[in-house]
Amino acid sequence: MKVSLAWLREFVDLPTEDIDELSYAFDMLGHAVEHVQALEPGWTEVYVGKVLDIAPHPDADKVRVCQVDHGQGPSQIICGAWNFDVGATVAVARPGSVLPGGVEIGKRTIRGVESNGMICSERELGIGSDQSGILVLEDDLEVGRPFHEVVELPDVVFELEITTNRPDALSLVGIARDLGAWFDVETRVPPLPLTTVPGATRVSVEIADPTGCRRFTAREIRGVRVGSSPLRVRHRLHKVGVRSISNVVDVTNYVMFELGHPLHAFDADTIVGDRLVVKRASPGETLETLDHVVRTLSEGDLIIYDDAGATSMAGTMGGARSEVSDKTTRVLMEAASWDPPTIMNMWRRHDLRSEAATRFERGVDPNLADVANQRACAMVQRLAGGEVLEGAVDVVTVDIRPWTVELTMDHVTQLLGEGFDPAEVRSILERLELEVEGVDPFIVTIPTFRPDLTRPADLVEEIARIHGFDKFDATLPTGPAGGLTAEQRRLRRVLTTLTGIGLSQAINLPFVSVEDLTALGLETDSSELLTVKNPLREEESKLRPTILPGLLNGLRYNRSHGNTSVALFEFGKVFSSEPSRDDPRLPTEFDRIGWAVIGDVGIEKMGEAFVTADATVSLAIFRHLADALDLDVEIESATRPGFHPGRTAQISVNSVVVGHVGELSPMAVRYFELEGRVAVAELDLDPLLAPVAPTLAVAPSVFPHVDFDLSFLVPAETPAKALIDATTGSTDLVEWARVFDEFTGDSVGEGMKALAIRYRLRAPDRTLEQREIGAIRDRMIEAAASLGARLRGA
Amino acid sequence: MDPVSTLEQAIASAPERIAAATSLEELERVENELLGKDSPVGQVRRSMGRLDDELKPKVGAKLNEATGRIGTLLAKRRAELEIIEEEQRLRTETIDVTLEAVSFPSGSIHVVQQTIDEICDIFVGLGYRVVGGPEAELAYYSFDALNTPPTHPSRWEQDTMYLDWGNPEDEVNLRPHTSSVQARWMESHEPPVYVVVPGRCYRRDTIDATHLPVFYQIEGLAVDEGIQFSDLKGTLLHFAREFFGPKTDVRLRPHFFPFTEPSAELDVSCFNCDGGEPGCRVCHGKGWLELLGCGMVDPFVLETAGYDPSVVSGFAFGLGPERVAMARHGVDSLRHFIENDIRFLRQF
Repeated sequence: MKVSLAWLREFVDLPTEDIDELSYAFDMLGHAVEHVQALEPGWTEVYVGKVLDIAPHPDADKVRVCQVDHGQGPSQIICGAWNFDVGATVAVARPGSVLPGGVEIGKRTIRGVESNGMICSERELGIGSDQSGILVLEDDLEVGRPFHEVVELPDVVFELEITTNRPDALSLVGIARDLGAWFDVETRVPPLPLTTVPGATRVSVEIADPTGCRRFTAREIRGVRVGSSPLRVRHRLHKVGVRSISNVVDVTNYVMFELGHPLHAFDADTIVGDRLVVKRASPGETLETLDHVVRTLSEGDLIIYDDAGATSMAGTMGGARSEVSDKTTRVLMEAASWDPPTIMNMWRRHDLRSEAATRFERGVDPNLADVANQRACAMVQRLAGGEVLEGAVDVVTVDIRPWTVELTMDHVTQLLGEGFDPAEVRSILERLELEVEGVDPFIVTIPTFRPDLTRPADLVEEIARIHGFDKFDATLPTGPAGGLTAEQRRLRRVLTTLTGIGLSQAINLPFVSVEDLTALGLETDSSELLTVKNPLREEESKLRPTILPGLLNGLRYNRSHGNTSVALFEFGKVFSSEPSRDDPRLPTEFDRIGWAVIGDVGIEKMGEAFVTADATVSLAIFRHLADALDLDVEIESATRPGFHPGRTAQISVNSVVVGHVGELSPMAVRYFELEGRVAVAELDLDPLLAPVAPTLAVAPSVFPHVDFDLSFLVPAETPAKALIDATTGSTDLVEWARVFDEFTGDSVGEGMKALAIRYRLRAPDRTLEQREIGAIRDRMIEAAASLGARLRGA
Repeated sequence: MDPVSTLEQAIASAPERIAAATSLEELERVENELLGKDSPVGQVRRSMGRLDDELKPKVGAKLNEATGRIGTLLAKRRAELEIIEEEQRLRTETIDVTLEAVSFPSGSIHVVQQTIDEICDIFVGLGYRVVGGPEAELAYYSFDALNTPPTHPSRWEQDTMYLDWGNPEDEVNLRPHTSSVQARWMESHEPPVYVVVPGRCYRRDTIDATHLPVFYQIEGLAVDEGIQFSDLKGTLLHFAREFFGPKTDVRLRPHFFPFTEPSAELDVSCFNCDGGEPGCRVCHGKGWLELLGCGMVDPFVLETAGYDPSVVSGFAFGLGPERVAMARHGVDSLRHFIENDIRFLRQF
């Protein structure tokens, strides 16, 4: 909400006009200052003047020669505007004045006649857009008065963010009340008494929807002359961002800014019949609103009807049919109080966030309705003339009365600490115009304009707010011991391990497309996917059942930007539509980790060939991770949709399958617009993070080692690990055994492969003897035979 | 010339000739000239057999002296020349140190993850636990238990994503904030509670520079006997100083959230400029950065979770690590955080 300081001053005796001090006060009251605009007059030497005489120009027929008194006796000024007569009060730029845009006004001669200054238009003064003629002022302005005083310049406009719990603060009264409490100064509402004439409006009001409408007041004003508002009114509205329409419409906005209660003026003559009915719309009905948009109404819309149908949208925007125009003479002034959710739904449905709707959605005090109505009628009377009929409509469906809240000093000290005495508490509450009886407990009567204050905690907040959040100390509670859990520490280890070997962590939105899943061979019935009921975009409608598509799209994105070697990993939630084991009211979600690597990996040396990502790289990444996490893993050949059928391993941790590591299927490689081999993996995260027993240390033996190689021919399908397990199973003297060569081909024979293994033997307590070594070697060859393996060349 | 004089002359001339050798190769030649078969010393050595017996000891002693002294000089010079020659050789092995001929692979933890971990670590230092909760959540935990009634606009389908799943009454949604974990945690744990909850949240927003439909939030919750407003202020001041630097200042401004009372927004003094420099890219001259929303836990929330608000009190706060990372690292758009361009990721 925009607040003009000049206008605000009518409501509160501010002890300062300093912009910083006031901004601080607004911020500390919870009305955050979003913007401050210091307004200065864009001119010098412009004064109020009166036109004394007008004569034709002897030599020019488009201009007239005027005699104008602007406080220094009559001066002759030539003017090209025709929208005024003798006696008009105008704004005169004296010779030597400078107007907006640097326009200098001097004495000049126009076709032989001297002109001493200029009679200004709104546009020339930069205070409005009207350039149809010169600015004609109200007759009661004193001749010779500096014009900037008339439009209250300089001024400051504060743009405040009013929180949704404070409908009252969307008004000068509300802002003044808070400032009054903050500075401990007086506030007031400038009086504007209403005089009425006997008689009553013929219009009656029926509220067919008491939930939607809490109160409806209406008053009729007869003999109104619709015209433009006085400059001061127009300019105040201009400063707070409201376009001036006409005196009657301006009054509704003006009073709304003052009191916070929106109003609507009907042209009473356009109301068909004698009865207005408030009820919900029938679907499909239409209504043309004041902005000349024809709106199709929905069931929930709350509408004011007359005998001819819908005429106005409650609390949101009036209808075009009953709009006040320059022909209007009879005005029906409405001030009604509407149900906040109804209005909120309605403006959102129609994307029509008017000033009125903004207030009603927060809850406008119903007890303010008639106060606002009377003030608006009184102001119409002053600005547009006419007589206000005594008999008014006032239908109350929800009678809201002030309520009491019992506050104790314990409430205050529990949340705010020691350091408040009852007198200060009482003083703060009273400064906020709350009525206080008694001391500890304080019986606090809450006026109906503060719907946010219903509990002691709400009052404690008010005390803290007016006391000043800045005045509180900064202390630390003495909490218990905290810390990361073992699982959280192991997750940190996962991150540093993977990044340490060159993978970067990706973060993807957890949505997935059915096409991506199909490309990964997961032709799931889309009903198995967890689906968002109200997605903003189709791409954000299906929750991912696998973490791979995001990573693969990441590779594609990188590739399309020239990044050809890319190693990404991601961990996060995946979802399924199965009910959760923890809470069957919720779907299942669990954490997965995956990676996707393409191009060169590992240590790079200039001029030398790189290792290129493939299934073996993926397995190496996994083994490295498993080592870092000290996991007991089992790796076995497997197939998996989306993975290469011959280059995929199933991973088990403690005999439980946790996922797959290998290579992306060539079909998926093509689908994701990639090339070559892509190392991929997807694993359940929790089993990797489960704490493991600490490793027991083995002291390295100090005795000499013996290395020897055995080269076996084995059936091609025999896993290397099986051969190693078999050959090393018969002794505990093997320090390590590594395959250092694997090959197939003619020299090896059909269905066979050659595996060359280097063994290192070492005893913890002695030097091995040749005889012992020979026996071990023989047992190894024997054990290999049980797998159909024999020594090469043997 | 008699052999002794020959040897003395050889001894006398040796230092100069040895010193004149500037390479090992030259030194070898000098050695040959001084001590070799055909050198004067060599000739004396060869002629020893033919010498008179009474001369032999004298010449023999001189010969030993000559080979000894010359040998020592040669060895010393050889050591010098070896050092010089090695130095020369090493100079030819010079590499271009600016050339990245070998590089280890370097990956990067996502900057948002780094931010989350750093923030959580600060609270862990204050005795907090890091906890989580489901992303698909019941409306009860996302809203009702947080004092957000069914009429509240944040619950509308316009803002919150609902799932086509489960019992319609449960209004299963993708949680719009991690505050949902407040109620869940308190329901199943007795006070005192000191937790931070990092996690993903969902809102119906279009992706642009400042909005993502899925983003992270870190919720903090402390509930204990005797927790006061000043504790909220002190805790956040400590956090701000740990995270942004020891000179950081904070201020709390009153605000409104349904689940806290009093509610506040926390501003931190700009870490980039010394307060309100007009052109500052971080604070745009305001001197303050709006960092997070916070407040004292609303008694309704405590009661709903089964706590007695007359016995315990607490505070809660919620901040967005993406926004913090954005401000801290000068990231111009949230899109970078989900594009996963390695050129972006590896900067951090």
